Amino acid sequence: MLTFVALASVLLLGIVPEQTEAISIYTGWERHALLGSDVRLSCSFFSWRGTSDDVTFSWTYRPDGSRDSISIFHYTSGQAYVDNKGPFRDRVEFVGNPGKRDGSILIKNLDYNDNGTFTCDAKNPPDIVGRPSSVRLLVFETVPIQAGVITGAIIGVVLGLLVLIVVIYYLMRFLVARRVFSLSVSKQGKKKREGTQARQ
Amino acid sequence: MLIILAFIILFHLAAAILLFVATIHNAWWVVSQAGRDVIYADLWYSCNSTCFPVENSHTVDAAYLQTIQATMILATILCCVSFFVFILQLFKLQQGERFLFTAIIQLLAALCVMIAASVYTAQKNSFHLANLREGTYGSSYILAWISFPMTLMSGLMYLVLRKRK
Repeated sequence: MLTFVALASVLLLGIVPEQTEAISIYTGWERHALLGSDVRLSCSFFSWRGTSDDVTFSWTYRPDGSRDSISIFHYTSGQAYVDNKGPFRDRVEFVGNPGKRDGSILIKNLDYNDNGTFTCDAKNPPDIVGRPSSVRLLVFETVPIQAGVITGAIIGVVLGLLVLIVVIYYLMRFLVARRVFSLSVSKQGKKKREGTQARQ
Repeated sequence: MLIILAFIILFHLAAAILLFVATIHNAWWVVSQAGRDVIYADLWYSCNSTCFPVENSHTVDAAYLQTIQATMILATILCCVSFFVFILQLFKLQQGERFLFTAIIQLLAALCVMIAASVYTAQKNSFHLANLREGTYGSSYILAWISFPMTLMSGLMYLVLRKRK
Protein backbone atom coordinates (compact mmCIF):
# COMPACT_ATOMS: atom_id res chain seq x y z
CA MET A 1 0.00 0.00 0.00
CA LEU A 2 2.73 2.41 1.02
CA THR A 3 4.85 1.49 -1.99
CA PHE A 4 1.84 2.09 -4.24
CA VAL A 5 1.33 5.56 -2.77
CA ALA A 6 5.05 6.31 -3.11
CA LEU A 7 5.09 5.16 -6.72
CA ALA A 8 1.97 7.18 -7.54
CA SER A 9 3.39 10.37 -5.99
CA VAL A 10 6.68 9.95 -7.84
CA LEU A 11 4.77 9.45 -11.09
CA LEU A 12 2.62 12.52 -10.45
CA LEU A 13 5.67 14.63 -9.60
CA GLY A 14 7.25 13.37 -12.77
CA ILE A 15 4.21 14.17 -14.91
CA VAL A 16 3.42 17.68 -13.68
CA PRO A 17 6.59 19.45 -14.92
CA GLU A 18 5.87 18.05 -18.37
CA GLN A 19 2.95 20.48 -18.63
CA THR A 20 4.04 23.81 -20.05
CA GLU A 21 2.86 26.96 -18.31
CA ALA A 22 2.36 30.09 -20.34
CA ILE A 23 5.28 32.43 -20.78
CA SER A 24 4.69 36.05 -19.71
CA ILE A 25 6.37 38.78 -21.71
CA TYR A 26 6.95 42.26 -20.31
CA THR A 27 7.67 45.44 -22.18
CA GLY A 28 6.92 49.01 -21.26
CA TRP A 29 3.56 50.54 -22.12
CA GLU A 30 4.77 53.70 -23.82
CA ARG A 31 8.13 55.21 -24.59
CA HIS A 32 8.69 58.89 -25.22
CA ALA A 33 11.81 60.02 -27.04
CA LEU A 34 13.24 63.14 -28.56
CA LEU A 35 13.69 63.54 -32.28
CA GLY A 36 17.13 62.32 -33.30
CA SER A 37 17.89 60.54 -30.05
CA ASP A 38 18.21 56.83 -29.26
CA VAL A 39 15.61 54.83 -27.42
CA ARG A 40 15.96 51.49 -25.66
CA LEU A 41 12.96 49.21 -25.97
CA SER A 42 13.12 46.68 -23.18
CA CYS A 43 11.62 43.21 -23.31
CA SER A 44 11.88 40.49 -20.71
CA PHE A 45 9.90 37.39 -19.92
CA PHE A 46 8.94 35.18 -17.05
CA SER A 47 8.90 31.43 -17.49
CA TRP A 48 8.69 28.60 -14.99
CA ARG A 49 11.44 26.79 -16.85
CA GLY A 50 15.07 27.68 -16.90
CA THR A 51 16.34 29.71 -19.84
CA SER A 52 16.95 27.25 -22.63
CA ASP A 53 19.66 27.52 -25.27
CA ASP A 54 16.99 27.82 -27.97
CA VAL A 55 15.43 30.98 -26.52
CA THR A 56 14.20 33.33 -29.26
CA PHE A 57 13.30 37.03 -29.25
CA SER A 58 11.60 38.78 -32.14
CA TRP A 59 10.51 42.36 -32.53
CA THR A 60 7.93 43.54 -35.06
CA TYR A 61 6.94 47.11 -35.91
CA ARG A 62 3.54 48.46 -36.89
CA PRO A 63 3.39 52.14 -37.92
CA ASP A 64 0.66 54.35 -36.48
CA GLY A 65 -2.43 54.06 -38.60
CA SER A 66 -1.30 50.98 -40.47
CA ARG A 67 -2.51 47.45 -40.00
CA ASP A 68 0.57 45.67 -41.34
CA SER A 69 3.52 44.86 -39.19
CA ILE A 70 7.01 44.05 -40.34
CA SER A 71 9.68 42.12 -38.55
CA ILE A 72 12.72 44.14 -37.56
CA PHE A 73 14.70 41.93 -35.21
CA HIS A 74 15.14 38.26 -34.51
CA TYR A 75 17.39 36.46 -32.06
CA THR A 76 17.76 32.69 -32.30
CA SER A 77 20.36 30.04 -31.63
CA GLY A 78 22.67 32.55 -30.01
CA GLN A 79 22.70 34.89 -33.04
CA ALA A 80 20.99 38.29 -33.39
CA TYR A 81 19.60 39.28 -36.82
CA VAL A 82 18.77 42.97 -37.31
CA ASP A 83 16.81 44.80 -39.96
CA ASN A 84 18.94 45.36 -43.06
CA LYS A 85 16.25 46.19 -45.64
CA GLY A 86 13.35 47.88 -43.93
CA PRO A 87 12.75 51.30 -42.35
CA PHE A 88 15.15 50.55 -39.52
CA ARG A 89 18.16 49.35 -41.49
CA ASP A 90 21.43 50.06 -39.70
CA ARG A 91 19.52 51.64 -36.81
CA VAL A 92 18.72 48.59 -34.70
CA GLU A 93 21.19 47.23 -32.18
CA PHE A 94 20.75 44.30 -29.83
CA VAL A 95 21.54 45.38 -26.26
CA GLY A 96 19.89 42.54 -24.41
CA ASN A 97 21.22 39.58 -22.50
CA PRO A 98 19.41 36.38 -23.47
CA GLY A 99 20.99 34.50 -20.59
CA LYS A 100 19.28 36.95 -18.23
CA ARG A 101 16.01 36.78 -20.20
CA ASP A 102 16.50 40.29 -21.57
CA GLY A 103 15.73 40.88 -25.24
CA SER A 104 16.03 44.65 -25.42
CA ILE A 105 16.90 46.53 -28.57
CA LEU A 106 18.25 50.01 -29.15
CA ILE A 107 16.83 52.13 -31.97
CA LYS A 108 19.07 54.99 -33.00
CA ASN A 109 18.48 58.39 -34.59
CA LEU A 110 14.70 58.54 -34.27
CA ASP A 111 12.45 60.17 -36.81
CA TYR A 112 8.75 61.08 -36.81
CA ASN A 113 8.14 58.11 -39.11
CA ASP A 114 9.16 55.81 -36.26
CA ASN A 115 5.99 56.55 -34.33
CA GLY A 116 4.20 53.25 -33.91
CA THR A 117 3.81 50.06 -31.93
CA PHE A 118 6.70 47.66 -31.34
CA THR A 119 5.77 44.13 -30.36
CA CYS A 120 8.13 41.74 -28.62
CA ASP A 121 7.59 38.01 -28.82
CA ALA A 122 9.79 35.71 -26.77
CA LYS A 123 9.86 31.94 -26.76
CA ASN A 124 11.61 29.72 -24.26
CA PRO A 125 11.23 26.15 -25.59
CA PRO A 126 9.28 24.16 -24.56
CA ASP A 127 7.47 27.20 -23.08
CA ILE A 128 6.11 28.70 -26.27
CA VAL A 129 2.54 29.60 -25.38
CA GLY A 130 2.39 33.29 -24.55
CA ARG A 131 0.97 36.61 -25.59
CA PRO A 132 3.35 39.08 -27.26
CA SER A 133 3.60 42.40 -25.50
CA SER A 134 3.57 45.79 -27.21
CA VAL A 135 5.19 49.11 -26.44
CA ARG A 136 4.15 52.31 -28.13
CA LEU A 137 6.83 54.72 -29.28
CA LEU A 138 6.12 58.45 -29.40
CA VAL A 139 8.66 60.83 -30.88
CA PHE A 140 8.60 64.49 -29.85
CA GLU A 141 10.46 67.61 -30.70
CA THR A 142 10.45 68.79 -27.09
CA VAL A 143 10.17 66.68 -23.97
CA PRO A 144 6.49 66.42 -23.02
CA ILE A 145 5.01 66.44 -19.55
CA GLN A 146 5.55 62.99 -18.14
CA ALA A 147 2.57 61.23 -16.62
CA GLY A 148 2.17 62.02 -12.98
CA VAL A 149 4.87 64.66 -12.63
CA ILE A 150 2.47 67.53 -12.11
CA THR A 151 0.22 65.36 -9.95
CA GLY A 152 3.06 64.40 -7.67
CA ALA A 153 4.41 67.93 -7.57
CA ILE A 154 1.10 69.48 -6.52
CA ILE A 155 0.45 66.87 -3.84
CA GLY A 156 3.99 67.09 -2.51
CA VAL A 157 4.07 70.87 -2.38
CA VAL A 158 0.68 71.27 -0.71
CA LEU A 159 1.26 68.56 1.89
CA GLY A 160 4.75 69.88 2.54
CA LEU A 161 3.42 73.40 3.06
CA LEU A 162 0.76 72.11 5.45
CA VAL A 163 3.30 70.16 7.50
CA LEU A 164 5.58 73.21 7.52
CA ILE A 165 2.78 75.47 8.73
CA VAL A 166 1.86 73.05 11.52
CA VAL A 167 5.49 72.71 12.60
CA ILE A 168 6.03 76.47 12.57
CA TYR A 169 2.81 77.02 14.55
CA TYR A 170 3.80 74.62 17.29
CA LEU A 171 7.36 75.94 17.29
CA MET A 172 6.12 79.51 17.73
CA ARG A 173 3.85 78.43 20.57
CA PHE A 174 6.71 76.61 22.23
CA LEU A 175 9.15 79.49 21.81
CA VAL A 176 6.71 82.14 22.97
CA ALA A 177 5.84 80.03 25.97
CA ARG A 178 9.52 79.64 26.80
CA ARG A 179 10.20 83.36 26.47
CA VAL A 180 7.20 84.27 28.57
CA PHE A 181 8.15 81.56 31.04
CA SER A 182 11.72 82.80 31.42
CA LEU A 183 10.57 86.43 31.75
CA SER A 184 8.08 85.56 34.46
CA VAL A 185 10.69 83.39 36.21
CA SER A 186 13.06 86.39 36.51
CA LYS A 187 10.15 88.62 37.62
CA GLN A 188 8.90 85.94 40.02
CA GLY A 189 12.43 85.42 41.29
CA LYS A 190 12.78 89.16 42.04
CA LYS A 191 9.35 89.23 43.64
CA LYS A 192 10.19 86.15 45.75
CA ARG A 193 13.45 87.67 46.87
CA GLU A 194 11.71 90.95 47.68
CA GLY A 195 8.98 89.04 49.44
CA THR A 196 11.42 87.05 51.61
CA GLN A 197 13.43 90.19 52.33
CA ALA A 198 10.28 92.05 53.28
CA ARG A 199 9.23 89.19 55.55
CA GLN A 200 12.66 89.16 57.08
CA MET B 1 -24.30 64.60 23.26
CA LEU B 2 -23.34 61.13 22.21
CA ILE B 3 -25.92 61.25 19.42
CA ILE B 4 -24.39 64.46 18.05
CA LEU B 5 -20.95 62.90 18.20
CA ALA B 6 -22.10 59.78 16.38
CA PHE B 7 -23.85 61.86 13.73
CA ILE B 8 -20.80 64.02 13.13
CA ILE B 9 -18.50 61.03 12.88
CA LEU B 10 -20.84 59.25 10.47
CA PHE B 11 -21.17 62.38 8.34
CA HIS B 12 -17.42 62.79 8.17
CA LEU B 13 -16.94 59.13 7.27
CA ALA B 14 -19.63 59.35 4.59
CA ALA B 15 -17.86 62.33 3.03
CA ALA B 16 -14.55 60.43 3.12
CA ILE B 17 -16.10 57.38 1.47
CA LEU B 18 -17.64 59.53 -1.27
CA LEU B 19 -14.27 61.11 -1.91
CA PHE B 20 -12.59 57.70 -2.12
CA VAL B 21 -15.18 56.39 -4.58
CA ALA B 22 -15.05 59.53 -6.72
CA THR B 23 -11.26 59.39 -6.90
CA ILE B 24 -10.88 55.67 -7.58
CA HIS B 25 -13.89 54.80 -9.74
CA ASN B 26 -13.20 55.71 -13.36
CA ALA B 27 -16.63 57.07 -14.24
CA TRP B 28 -16.37 60.86 -14.48
CA TRP B 29 -17.34 60.75 -18.16
CA VAL B 30 -19.65 58.28 -19.89
CA VAL B 31 -19.72 57.84 -23.67
CA SER B 32 -22.57 55.69 -24.91
CA GLN B 33 -22.73 55.39 -28.65
CA ALA B 34 -25.40 53.36 -30.36
CA GLY B 35 -24.16 49.94 -31.30
CA ARG B 36 -20.93 50.07 -29.31
CA ASP B 37 -19.89 49.31 -25.77
CA VAL B 38 -20.42 52.02 -23.21
CA ILE B 39 -17.12 53.71 -22.40
CA TYR B 40 -16.40 54.97 -18.89
CA ALA B 41 -13.52 57.44 -18.80
CA ASP B 42 -11.46 59.55 -16.37
CA LEU B 43 -9.62 60.10 -14.11
CA TRP B 44 -7.20 57.22 -14.49
CA TYR B 45 -8.44 54.79 -17.15
CA SER B 46 -10.96 54.75 -19.94
CA CYS B 47 -12.69 51.41 -20.04
CA ASN B 48 -15.21 49.61 -22.16
CA SER B 49 -14.48 45.92 -21.95
CA THR B 50 -10.73 46.56 -21.63
CA CYS B 51 -9.12 49.42 -19.81
CA PHE B 52 -6.62 51.81 -21.37
CA PRO B 53 -4.76 54.43 -19.35
CA VAL B 54 -6.01 57.92 -20.03
CA GLU B 55 -3.76 59.78 -22.46
CA ASN B 56 -2.36 62.09 -19.84
CA SER B 57 1.26 62.27 -20.56
CA HIS B 58 2.05 63.72 -23.92
CA THR B 59 -0.02 66.80 -24.42
CA VAL B 60 0.37 70.18 -22.79
CA ASP B 61 -3.32 70.03 -21.87
CA ALA B 62 -2.58 66.93 -19.85
CA ALA B 63 -1.58 69.39 -17.14
CA TYR B 64 -5.26 69.96 -16.38
CA LEU B 65 -5.99 66.27 -15.91
CA GLN B 66 -2.98 65.90 -13.65
CA THR B 67 -4.13 68.90 -11.60
CA ILE B 68 -7.54 67.26 -11.16
CA GLN B 69 -5.91 63.99 -10.12
CA ALA B 70 -3.68 65.79 -7.65
CA THR B 71 -6.46 67.83 -6.03
CA MET B 72 -8.78 64.81 -5.72
CA ILE B 73 -6.03 62.80 -4.05
CA LEU B 74 -5.24 65.77 -1.79
CA ALA B 75 -8.89 66.14 -0.81
CA THR B 76 -9.11 62.46 0.10
CA ILE B 77 -5.87 62.58 2.11
CA LEU B 78 -6.93 65.76 3.94
CA CYS B 79 -10.36 64.32 4.77
CA CYS B 80 -8.77 61.21 6.31
CA VAL B 81 -6.17 63.28 8.18
CA SER B 82 -8.87 65.56 9.59
CA PHE B 83 -10.74 62.49 10.86
CA PHE B 84 -7.69 61.32 12.79
CA VAL B 85 -7.04 64.86 14.05
CA PHE B 86 -10.67 65.01 15.24
CA ILE B 87 -10.28 61.79 17.23
CA LEU B 88 -7.03 63.14 18.67
CA GLN B 89 -8.57 66.48 19.59
CA LEU B 90 -11.56 64.71 21.12
CA PHE B 91 -9.29 63.32 23.81
CA LYS B 92 -6.80 66.14 24.14
CA LEU B 93 -8.82 69.35 24.02
CA GLN B 94 -9.77 71.28 27.10
CA GLN B 95 -13.44 71.67 27.83
CA GLY B 96 -15.14 74.48 25.94
CA GLU B 97 -12.57 74.71 23.17
CA ARG B 98 -13.36 74.44 19.49
CA PHE B 99 -12.06 71.81 17.08
CA LEU B 100 -10.19 74.40 15.09
CA PHE B 101 -7.47 72.23 13.61
CA THR B 102 -9.97 69.65 12.38
CA ALA B 103 -12.15 72.34 10.85
CA ILE B 104 -9.25 73.93 8.98
CA ILE B 105 -8.12 70.65 7.44
CA GLN B 106 -11.69 69.68 6.51
CA LEU B 107 -12.29 73.08 4.89
CA LEU B 108 -9.05 72.67 2.93
CA ALA B 109 -10.34 69.31 1.70
CA ALA B 110 -13.58 70.98 0.60
CA LEU B 111 -11.54 73.60 -1.27
CA CYS B 112 -9.56 70.88 -3.06
CA VAL B 113 -12.69 69.02 -4.16
CA MET B 114 -14.18 72.22 -5.46
CA ILE B 115 -11.01 73.01 -7.42
CA ALA B 116 -10.95 69.51 -8.90
CA ALA B 117 -14.60 69.47 -9.95
CA SER B 118 -14.48 73.02 -11.35
CA VAL B 119 -11.33 72.42 -13.37
CA TYR B 120 -12.83 69.21 -14.72
CA THR B 121 -16.02 70.99 -15.77
CA ALA B 122 -14.15 73.80 -17.47
CA GLN B 123 -11.31 71.99 -19.16
CA LYS B 124 -12.47 68.46 -19.91
CA ASN B 125 -12.59 69.11 -23.65
CA SER B 126 -8.90 69.93 -23.74
CA PHE B 127 -7.69 66.52 -22.60
CA HIS B 128 -10.43 64.30 -24.03
CA LEU B 129 -9.55 62.35 -27.16
CA ALA B 130 -11.67 62.91 -30.23
CA ASN B 131 -13.61 59.70 -29.75
CA LEU B 132 -14.53 60.73 -26.19
CA ARG B 133 -15.86 64.18 -26.97
CA GLU B 134 -19.57 63.37 -26.97
CA GLY B 135 -20.70 62.03 -23.68
CA THR B 136 -22.34 62.80 -20.38
CA TYR B 137 -21.14 63.23 -16.85
CA GLY B 138 -20.87 60.00 -14.92
CA SER B 139 -21.49 58.89 -11.38
CA SER B 140 -18.04 59.72 -10.02
CA TYR B 141 -18.42 63.34 -11.19
CA ILE B 142 -21.73 63.63 -9.34
CA LEU B 143 -20.20 62.06 -6.22
CA ALA B 144 -17.35 64.55 -6.35
CA TRP B 145 -19.76 67.46 -6.48
CA ILE B 146 -21.85 66.00 -3.64
CA SER B 147 -18.80 65.56 -1.44
CA PHE B 148 -17.98 69.27 -1.77
CA PRO B 149 -20.95 70.56 0.31
CA MET B 150 -20.60 67.57 2.60
CA THR B 151 -17.01 68.40 3.49
CA LEU B 152 -17.86 72.09 3.67
CA MET B 153 -20.72 71.51 6.11
CA SER B 154 -18.62 69.08 8.10
CA GLY B 155 -15.83 71.65 8.41
CA LEU B 156 -18.25 74.38 9.48
CA MET B 157 -19.79 72.03 12.05
CA TYR B 158 -16.36 71.47 13.56
CA LEU B 159 -15.88 75.24 13.70
CA VAL B 160 -19.08 75.67 15.67
CA LEU B 161 -18.78 72.64 17.91
CA ARG B 162 -17.33 73.01 21.38
CA LYS B 163 -16.03 70.21 23.51
CA ARG B 164 -18.30 69.26 26.33
CA LYS B 165 -18.04 66.41 28.78
